[in-house]
Amino acid sequence: MAFLLKRAGCALALLAALAPAAQAAPAAPAVHTILIDGMRFIPQTVEVKAGDTVVWRNKDPFPHTVMAAAPGLASPPIAAGASWRYKAARAGAYPYLCTLHSTMTATLVVK
Amino acid sequence: MSKFTHKLLCAAITGAFALAGSAQAQTAPDDAQIAGIVVAANTVDINAGQLAEKMSKDAGVKSFARQMVTDHTGVNKQASALVKKLKVTPADSDLSKSLKTGGDANLAKLRTLKGKDFDKAYVDHEVAYHQSVIDALDKTLIPNAKNAELKDTLVKTRPAFVAHLEHAKQLQSTMK
Repeated sequence: MAFLLKRAGCALALLAALAPAAQAAPAAPAVHTILIDGMRFIPQTVEVKAGDTVVWRNKDPFPHTVMAAAPGLASPPIAAGASWRYKAARAGAYPYLCTLHSTMTATLVVK
Repeated sequence: MSKFTHKLLCAAITGAFALAGSAQAQTAPDDAQIAGIVVAANTVDINAGQLAEKMSKDAGVKSFARQMVTDHTGVNKQASALVKKLKVTPADSDLSKSLKTGGDANLAKLRTLKGKDFDKAYVDHEVAYHQSVIDALDKTLIPNAKNAELKDTLVKTRPAFVAHLEHAKQLQSTMK
């Protein structure tokens, strides 16, 4: 009986030690999708965390680009039906546009 | 080209599209004719863009022309895929025919020009042309499209023409 109690106690102690660590573990990076459709970026403003991946999916019948003043936030022409992935790095608010159709503007916010 | 000839050409384009809106002049186009008008409208701009890409020495005009070719080719490809899916054969109409005639006349006129005269004539035509296409979409093509997918495609395409018009106007403002 004492042996079992000791075992249970050890198990409890182990759980107690682990629990705070489990709470502090960061959430897995998320993937956010932005649609390029009808000459718009949808949604027009997206908020992501540093480390998250952002995917732009082009649903228009011709190419678009994504260009901002953030490092690496510069896509090649994204063909009709194609996608482009970007890993958000530095925090900040990054206005971006399509260099082929400069009336298309949007913002990526990295927290 | 002379200002008069240019004005005449612009009037001709507007007239062609005005025909489409006038109920007395002709009956509303059916889906096959709407498809024919869309293909004709895109093809006219592709042809003008290809000529401008070749002829213009201005980086901004060349870039715009290249964009017209890329975008209108993409829209035509989408339109072709849709009519194939819907088992519709694009049909001729007075409007599609006058678009082709107007397009050919524009090309013939542009071929007599070079340098800044060419650029100005090309861009002026692009402004008038895209405005007319948007008007036709709003007054004739979208309201008369019976098939929901065709109508949806026309509605989705409209913003591209608006963006083209904006771009053309920006170019035009640098050429006054």
